[in-house]
Amino acid sequence: MLPEIVKEQVSYACGTEPCTVNKTGEWRFLTPGKAERPSPCNQGCLLDGEIPAWLEAVKLERWEEAWQIMSRRNPFPALTGYVCFHPCTENCNRGQLDRDIEIPAVEKAIGQWRLDHYKPKVKALTAKGRVAIVGSGPAGMSCAYYLNEAGYEVTVFEREKVIGGMFTLGIPEYRLPRRVLKKELDLLESEGIKFRTGCNIGSDIRLSELYAEFDEVFLASGAWKPRRAGISGEDSSGAWNALDFLKAVNSSSSPAIADPVVVIGGGNAAVDSARSALRLNGVNHVTLIYRRSRAEMPAGQVEVEAAEHEGVELICNALPREIEEDGQAVKSILLDHCKTSLEGLAIDRSRAFSKTCGTVIMALGQERDYTLFDTLEKSSVLFAGGDLISGPATVPEAINAGRNAAMAIMAKIEGLPGPGLPAAEQSPVKFEELNLGAKMNLQLQDVQADPSAEASRCLGCGTCNTCGICYLFCPDMAVDVVDGRYEFNLDYCKGCGICFKECPSRALAMEGGR
Amino acid sequence: MKTDIMNHESEMLYAGHNACPGCGAALAVRYLTRALGPDLALVLTASCWSIITGMPPLTALKCPILHCPFPSAGSVGSGVRRGLNAKGQYDTTVVVLAGDGGTFDIGLQALSGAAQRNEDYMFVCYDNEAYMNTGMQTSSATPFGARTATAPYPLFKEGQKKDIMQIMAAHSIPYAATATVAFPEDMERKLKKAREIRGFRFIHILSPCPPGWGTESSDTIHLSRQAVATGFFPLYEIINGVSWKMTCQPEGKRLPLKEYLSGQRRFKQMEDVRIEALQEEVDHDWEVLLKRIEASK
Ligand SMILES: Cc1cc2nc3c(=O)[nH]c(=O)nc-3n(C[C@H](O)[C@H](O)[C@H](O)COP(=O)(O)OP(=O)(O)OC[C@H]3O[C@@H](n4cnc5c(N)ncnc54)[C@H](O)[C@@H]3O)c2cc1C
Ligand SMILES: Cc1ncc(C[n+]2csc(CCOP(=O)(O)OP(=O)(O)O)c2C)c(N)n1
Ligand code: SF4
Ligand code: SF4
Ligand code: SF4
Ligand SMILES: [Mg+2]
Repeated sequence: MLPEIVKEQVSYACGTEPCTVNKTGEWRFLTPGKAERPSPCNQGCLLDGEIPAWLEAVKLERWEEAWQIMSRRNPFPALTGYVCFHPCTENCNRGQLDRDIEIPAVEKAIGQWRLDHYKPKVKALTAKGRVAIVGSGPAGMSCAYYLNEAGYEVTVFEREKVIGGMFTLGIPEYRLPRRVLKKELDLLESEGIKFRTGCNIGSDIRLSELYAEFDEVFLASGAWKPRRAGISGEDSSGAWNALDFLKAVNSSSSPAIADPVVVIGGGNAAVDSARSALRLNGVNHVTLIYRRSRAEMPAGQVEVEAAEHEGVELICNALPREIEEDGQAVKSILLDHCKTSLEGLAIDRSRAFSKTCGTVIMALGQERDYTLFDTLEKSSVLFAGGDLISGPATVPEAINAGRNAAMAIMAKIEGLPGPGLPAAEQSPVKFEELNLGAKMNLQLQDVQADPSAEASRCLGCGTCNTCGICYLFCPDMAVDVVDGRYEFNLDYCKGCGICFKECPSRALAMEGGR
Repeated sequence: MKTDIMNHESEMLYAGHNACPGCGAALAVRYLTRALGPDLALVLTASCWSIITGMPPLTALKCPILHCPFPSAGSVGSGVRRGLNAKGQYDTTVVVLAGDGGTFDIGLQALSGAAQRNEDYMFVCYDNEAYMNTGMQTSSATPFGARTATAPYPLFKEGQKKDIMQIMAAHSIPYAATATVAFPEDMERKLKKAREIRGFRFIHILSPCPPGWGTESSDTIHLSRQAVATGFFPLYEIINGVSWKMTCQPEGKRLPLKEYLSGQRRFKQMEDVRIEALQEEVDHDWEVLLKRIEASK
């Protein structure tokens, strides 16, 4: 007798029963399974951000799920979508077919979904622990986010009047819209994270006091100490360091500076200062001066091009010798020609030249400032991260450091094993490895529409992107469609390996036996 | 992918059937039935598919199947169509399903008769290029150079594969088309087009057979794709026996035939002169096909 459940499936065919009672999976000699490998985009990502996985969720328009995947590694996609330099896009395999996936656009869209759909969680009455965080930049924010999510009580101490660190005071508005930033920061507050602004740890409160009051402390005070050129005139009025200048601009105090403006440096702070200066009232001419060649500028090429496009004049291979003053005010800057050589910078004093200017902005980089540690008496384990430890780095690296610190702090307080060693590196799936033979079946058009259409262009290198090829080509109906995704039904899989061979993404493996 | 073939609700093939791992014929009929179902009646000759669907009361398909003797398939199809018409079931699609043995050899006489009378049904041949169910004996669909149970090493199949499509075109039937499992969308489109046409329709589906061809079970789709890419099995359709049209040809140059043959044990130890001879045959047929297509423009 057939079991009832099978009877139900009996079709309109003349008095027959479906053959599903034959569990032909018993013939299986090899077993298919998901076996994901890294993609080139993830390989580039500074957060190891599971990029193909959230692209796939967006393709299915499952935004909540996309956010869940995203926030495992990056809780601020709305912000990184704007400011990350996106090394992920550099080696996108899709680019070899037509055009790279616009990962930042999809990232931003997930971030925006989160900002639009945020609902505060009901929190447990008792916190798992109390943690103090010094510095409210990306590293501090990220650590606070993860600890707060896990049920800790978090207080962030910030020396400035505003929170956000470089997000708020370094990166200019034209690169990171303040309405997005404000919403993200407000969200952190509404999630229950406490911020104490205008509180300088070290002078207002001693570090040892924090250790006494809180279970753990995370230090993320960044790298704000400007590197000095050591030339005369550096302290005259009209000479700024870049971070002070950007801080003034970003605090909307619109500093009055004298035209023309010279910016010294080749990094992001230099380019940001130049472009910000050009946007100020009364400034008509901005020159960016860098000691090495254009190709050697540490700032992103896109940024440099944008600056030039806006009208910033660029002079390379020039090194400042002296800021010349007229009374107290800056009058001009004296520069030497220089070149990169094997021994370092070769300065040619015979080719000096002077540039008239009313303002000089020095953007020679920042250094870590360890004076904070001076007030520390004793602590066995110290948690610190972000620019404070790495030196000037990037937003994603700071976010990663904050997350790692949160995991380590939780492990310590809850007595759990700490974050394990990273898994052994596998090679990323190369373009040549993808099975584009299935290209005809996949209809890989280059459509550009909404984020989900863009996400659906992703080839899912090494990760299932629900293309359905395994389902389409299984002769044994052994790939089930479960909630829009594909799963093996080993009751019927005979192990032919077609799914494995045809999967365009190389996301499957066959293992010996049943 | 926005093709009907991904719509799992229209599947007519049950899991648990008896096909070998990687069977191309199982896939061919899966695509066939889901494209033409659910109101579908199948007439089936003795073949692997008789075994795939299994012994009653079990069945692998969600539609009725009428088994018939080998040589009579063409006539049984005619009878089923007329019987259903007599009952007023004009909308039920009638399909005769036969292997290459049942089509190219044993069934050819009744097939030709039904085509000549322009009977109103569809004849589908799934071609695995030998009598596979009885142990891989040579059929007239077996390609030149292949080894079979009746042409074991050092023998090989002599004479070329019968060109069934030219035979069917010569009957001036309203619709005839080729298809293969690596291109389910193309197959589905042809089947649906054929369903809407009245009169005799013929579909020839190349269906790789891992045990019969001596191939890896995982290679079924890959081989089917290569058969098209080399021009060994072009995908085209013929309207009224005169209007020929290519439907789906991969971009770029045709691959050398050797690439298709090399993964198959039935072509193992095939001397280069024979490979060249088969390549010439494929090139020749390709040119003829292009001329026909050109002439019907
Ligand atoms: C102009 C500029 C532009 C940049 N643009 C980009 C970009 O586009 N993309 C990118 O990825 N990276 C960029 N970076 C780098 C990036 O901003 C930093 O790597 C990142 O912000 C470091 O994060 P953090 O949390 O470690 O430190 P910060 O963001 O510097 O935050 C540290 C915080 O700690 C506070 N603090 C310091 N000392 C104390 C104290 N004693 N007590 C209390 N609070 C204290 C500070 O006020 C600050 O708010 C840029 C950097 C600059 C300077
Ligand atoms: C009249 C008759 N002769 C011979 C057979 C034995 N027989 C059963 S299946 C088969 C092979 C059919 O070959 P083909 O039509 O190519 O189908 P395949 O098995 O290859 O799918 C044969 C010869 C039979 N069933 N009836
Ligand atoms: S195609 Fe998708 S998975 Fe592959 S590199 Fe590009 S974004 Fe990453
Ligand atoms: S074939 Fe497509 S759906 Fe199946 S595992 Fe690979 S990527 Fe996922
Ligand atoms: S294609 Fe189907 S039967 Fe073959 S290994 Fe994959 S799931 Fe199993
Ligand atoms: Mg056969």
